[in-house]
Amino acid sequence: MEKTYNFTRLFMLMVVLLTAANLFLPFNYAKAEEKTYTIATDITFAPFEFQDTNGDFVGIDMDLVKAIAEDQGFKYEMKPLGFNAAVQALESKQVDAVIAGMSITDERKLKFDFSDPYFDSGIIMAVNKNNETVSSYKDLKGKRVAVKTGTEGATFAQSIQDKYGFKIVTFDDSANMYEDVKTGNSVAVFDDYPVLAYGIKQGNGLKIVTNKEAGNSYGFAVSKGENAELLKMFNDGLTNLKASGKYQDIMDKYLETGSEQAKDNGYFGLLKESLPSLLSGLKMTLILTVVSLLIATVVGVIFGLMRIAKNKALRIIAGIYVDIFRGTPLIVQAFFIYFGIPAALDFRISAVAAGLITLSLNAGAYMAEIVRGGIESVDKGQMEAARSLGLPYGKAMSKVVLPQAVQLMIPAFINQFVITLKDTSILSIIGINELTQSGKIIIARNLESFQMWIIVGIMYFIVIMILTKVSNVLERRIKNGKA
Amino acid sequence: MEKLKVTNLKKSYGDLEVLKSIDLQVKEGEVVCLIGPSGSGKSTLLRCLNMLEEVTGGEVIVNNVKLTDKHTDINKVRENIGMVFQHFNLFPNLNILDNITLAPVELKKATKEQAKETALKLLDRVGLKDKAKANPANLSGGQKQRVAIARALAMNPDIMLFDEPTSALDPEMVGEVLAVIKQLAQEGMTMVIVTHEMGFAKEVADRVIFMDNGYIVEQGSPQEVFGNPKNERTKDFLNKVLS
Repeated sequence: MEKTYNFTRLFMLMVVLLTAANLFLPFNYAKAEEKTYTIATDITFAPFEFQDTNGDFVGIDMDLVKAIAEDQGFKYEMKPLGFNAAVQALESKQVDAVIAGMSITDERKLKFDFSDPYFDSGIIMAVNKNNETVSSYKDLKGKRVAVKTGTEGATFAQSIQDKYGFKIVTFDDSANMYEDVKTGNSVAVFDDYPVLAYGIKQGNGLKIVTNKEAGNSYGFAVSKGENAELLKMFNDGLTNLKASGKYQDIMDKYLETGSEQAKDNGYFGLLKESLPSLLSGLKMTLILTVVSLLIATVVGVIFGLMRIAKNKALRIIAGIYVDIFRGTPLIVQAFFIYFGIPAALDFRISAVAAGLITLSLNAGAYMAEIVRGGIESVDKGQMEAARSLGLPYGKAMSKVVLPQAVQLMIPAFINQFVITLKDTSILSIIGINELTQSGKIIIARNLESFQMWIIVGIMYFIVIMILTKVSNVLERRIKNGKA
Repeated sequence: MEKLKVTNLKKSYGDLEVLKSIDLQVKEGEVVCLIGPSGSGKSTLLRCLNMLEEVTGGEVIVNNVKLTDKHTDINKVRENIGMVFQHFNLFPNLNILDNITLAPVELKKATKEQAKETALKLLDRVGLKDKAKANPANLSGGQKQRVAIARALAMNPDIMLFDEPTSALDPEMVGEVLAVIKQLAQEGMTMVIVTHEMGFAKEVADRVIFMDNGYIVEQGSPQEVFGNPKNERTKDFLNKVLS
């Protein structure tokens, strides 16, 4: 009888929470008549897409879409997700189209419909500019070669790998790939000509040593059989731009080899230039941490209590939940929640909402264990004494056992707080613009990965130190308040 | 009139039978002391009387309410059965006064003010009025146990269960706790007391029950059980503890 009462209350609480989540998290259910197209793009593919110092996304793809949209009169929202995330978002119909310097391949044609080619690319090999020993494919025997996942350069490297006998190392963005060659981990890199040329212009420390391999063409992609009108507008617009000369203007703007821009690449200059975006990234990191931990605490208390419930079914459900979220990597959970579930059930969810759900459920599983551990380390006699006075289970738990358990849980809770804060960096993978992602975006522009990662690392460190000190003071206060 | 009636009570933990067919009746105002060697089942029997232990078989009836019936609101029944534990089990997160007023206030037996008034009276009765604002951690064992008794009495129970109330105490503190229990006995409280204090049992009990190996082996007035035990095991046990 008492138990039923408790379960009802738990259930009501969950319903309230879910409703609240629905109100506050920006779910976007698919609408047939949407006028604003969502277009996903890469974040680190200069000169096709990258952020300028003002934090605006610029590049060939950006300018092209903008010009075509003006020409054809449609509205769009550009979502910089990263290449892989953008492709997956299109597959799961989270977005209407992708423009990300994406090569038109037969394999991709199975899933996507492509526009007319808007750019003819080619693959080129570059090495460290001080490297005098590697100048052709033959010199690569037994060496490591860096490529970017899913790019044409990667495909080309694979096609000649056996013939020339080198090893392939894959990276998720260009800056890391160049850095790997610069530091000497890899001797060479295969990349799209315009990208490499842009990087060299930015002073990435590499030099081009081969001629351009005739490559694929880049296309604008929509899901197969969908958004045909958008595809037609893109093609018509492209034809118009080519005729008017606007197309060539855009190409010249980014590919014309002019003089290198004067850059202030000292720490102070970098910091000054990148601080606004880093701080807004930090803000997102903190919001994600705090909101997800609040939800995780509620989830943790509910599932922690279920873990120790008399009812076997409740114990099993809570056990499965905890095992799944502790037994799989956060990055897999993020992909599953952002791409997997919406694709399977045909609805849309914003990256931030998906990130919050992922972090909340992940931290919730750990919190459930912290809550269970805290409750179990309270002497059994406490519950018995409270029950013997006639207090129902819920009252005995909330008035007697939980207050004592909370004190035991504080150190573990602080620990989880720090872990969750650091885990937010993993959400950069689904394109959330938190601190790590801000760093990635800035590096995509200035290619100063060593200095930028030091700055980003120091920012995490400072914030975590401050929070740890504050938590310690809080912990001491709570303990002293009791004694 | 019977306050408490136990019929054919059985309790097992897995394969281990701790109680094997216990029959017991306690009349209103009667003081019953349970004695016996460790592991004889006396604490388990006591804990079955307010369902802190789920029983395996048989019946427990308190104030004509069948506790072993699934439809019985056990919380309501427990309000009328006070229990005092060997290790006091005061709530360390609450001060002494709040320990005592928690249940009456939470269960809407009294307003905060009434509960506080009652608590202070009870503390006065157990000689600890000046400790109302103290924390359990700062009390001696004897003081803690007296607070635990006051806490149980705050619900105004008509039966009190004591589970080895002096076993965890330093010897010099046993007296102060027994004095409080004795006073309760004189006031006519129905009580079941598990104890190792034979002198106290002799003095306060109306009836002494000797348990061994999950059975009630022998029972009777203190004079009968202590003065003229009939069963060999009783004699054996008394020889060991009284010598």
